[in-house]
Amino acid sequence: MAIDTPFRERAPASPRLGVRSRGALLGRLRQLQPYLYLLPALLAVGVWVYWPLIQTVELSFYRWNLLPTRPKVPVGFDNYLQVLTLPEMGIALRNTALYVIGLLPFSVILPLAFAIVTAGIGGPLRGVYRAVIFAPVLMAPVVVAVVWRWILHPTQGLVYHALQQPLGLPTINWFRDSMLSLPVIVFITGWGLLGFSFLIFTAGLTNIPREYVEAARIDGASSWQVARYITVPLLTPTISFMVMMTVLLGAQWVFPLINVLTQGGPQDATTNVYYILWQFGFRSFNVGWSSAAAVLFFAGFGVLAFLAVRLIDRFSIYDT
Amino acid sequence: MIRNRLPLGTISGHLVLIGLSFLSIGPIYWMFLSSFRPENELYSTNPLPLSLTLENYLFVWRSIPIGTMLLNTFLMAALITIGQLLICILAGYALARWQFPGDRLLFFAFLGTWLIPFQVIMIPNYVLLSRLGWLNTLQGLVVPQLATAFGIILLRQQMKAFPRELFDAAAIDGAGSWRTLWSIVVPNLRAPLAALAILYFIGGWNEYFWPLLVTNKPEQTVVQVGLQMFLTQEGNQWGALMAAAAIASLPIFLLYLVLQRQIIDAFLRSGIK
Repeated sequence: MAIDTPFRERAPASPRLGVRSRGALLGRLRQLQPYLYLLPALLAVGVWVYWPLIQTVELSFYRWNLLPTRPKVPVGFDNYLQVLTLPEMGIALRNTALYVIGLLPFSVILPLAFAIVTAGIGGPLRGVYRAVIFAPVLMAPVVVAVVWRWILHPTQGLVYHALQQPLGLPTINWFRDSMLSLPVIVFITGWGLLGFSFLIFTAGLTNIPREYVEAARIDGASSWQVARYITVPLLTPTISFMVMMTVLLGAQWVFPLINVLTQGGPQDATTNVYYILWQFGFRSFNVGWSSAAAVLFFAGFGVLAFLAVRLIDRFSIYDT
Repeated sequence: MIRNRLPLGTISGHLVLIGLSFLSIGPIYWMFLSSFRPENELYSTNPLPLSLTLENYLFVWRSIPIGTMLLNTFLMAALITIGQLLICILAGYALARWQFPGDRLLFFAFLGTWLIPFQVIMIPNYVLLSRLGWLNTLQGLVVPQLATAFGIILLRQQMKAFPRELFDAAAIDGAGSWRTLWSIVVPNLRAPLAALAILYFIGGWNEYFWPLLVTNKPEQTVVQVGLQMFLTQEGNQWGALMAAAAIASLPIFLLYLVLQRQIIDAFLRSGIK
């Protein structure tokens, strides 16, 4: 056997070149072993993630309409210049920021507060609550979109018949009103997300040693003080994790709802950076624009992710 | 665990949780309820099921090939689950067991796929798939979705926690790495593998964008895309739409009823690294 490192085996050393014995061949095969195990994963990731990424960069320098019979025309940095000067880009970026900011209450603030308030609940009901609150997480985005479209229908939906009509409120077209459509999409996405975050924070809370809280209680701390000075600081790793997930994935979470409910409208009020790529690519068949915008967003999110990881390392308080 | 010892604490806690539960389950209940309601009661705000009918389900059954769509969805989700598990087991094992040139780089290459959104690479993927002639096929739905990082990283973590002696003992017994993997490592990883399988299956069942891109015939698509097609066709047939939505989510809800604890655990595992 090969020499053991403290943690992992070293793959067997390469036999000397030129030695053509059975043993040498076996040794060489052994050395290849880890790579053979990795091969399927490498193929999958290489063919369907990294190679396409390179191709996206390449396509961003061409004009092409996705038709195999049409030639790709090289245009240099034209796509980038065009895409950067499009007014939709600014709107999409602004909306993406609004989506992320709007989702943070649903992915961090509310579930954290709910988790803290309900931390004292024990007994069989606790599991029931968990199961019920988690249920929306399992719904497919299209199902979520269709159900909420029904509930929020301006004149036929539950919200109109149960709330607006009895109170004498006017009809509201939730998805066609440029002021309301984005917040409504945020709310619906948040509805599907809350159960997940709630569970994550609940789990985080159960990992905090109760001695800390009991000691604070004996010292006369109020519930608010316990939350403010003990619970929340000790939950910073979980909080940072959820903040980072929201910042990096928020635009993806709202994407299917945009596609099913508003198609980015009215007047781009609900579009976001990823929806723009989708429209450029598969609505206007402008592969160059879509790819150039994709490269720009990818670079932007890469920087953001890097900064987020740095910030998390800096601000997280770990208990051990 | 923290216990809130204020007398009011638990009461207000229950109130908050009941409110939250209503908000969470309400729309789901409304979906199922509407799906069973006859046309003339559809706009009723009564939350109780007074008269129920299967009319909406029959309408869906007659309008779109929902049975075929369900079968397609099941096959896609099942094949993605099996394929991903296999790939992750093998890769996780390699990364957990050996040190070899490039291992860190490869690990980060898997980790890095997290940062690449689907929309950034969708055009080249689509082009490749159409060149392969895989549009509107099961392999076209499945194969591109086998690229994964999460499972590899999770399983690598789990396998690294394995006692070193186990591998050594197996080696002394003359077991090669392949036999060690299947007779020792995998049987000891039942819990995380089950969790992963659940996550992949739910993810596969709920997958929407890739099928939307690569299938355009009702007979070849999955139930989520079928639902979207139905919405475009029958935009205001609310009872029927809710029936279609119910059908599209029913298998996952049934799974949830049976495996509730395991599913919640699987999601927890996915959140906390």
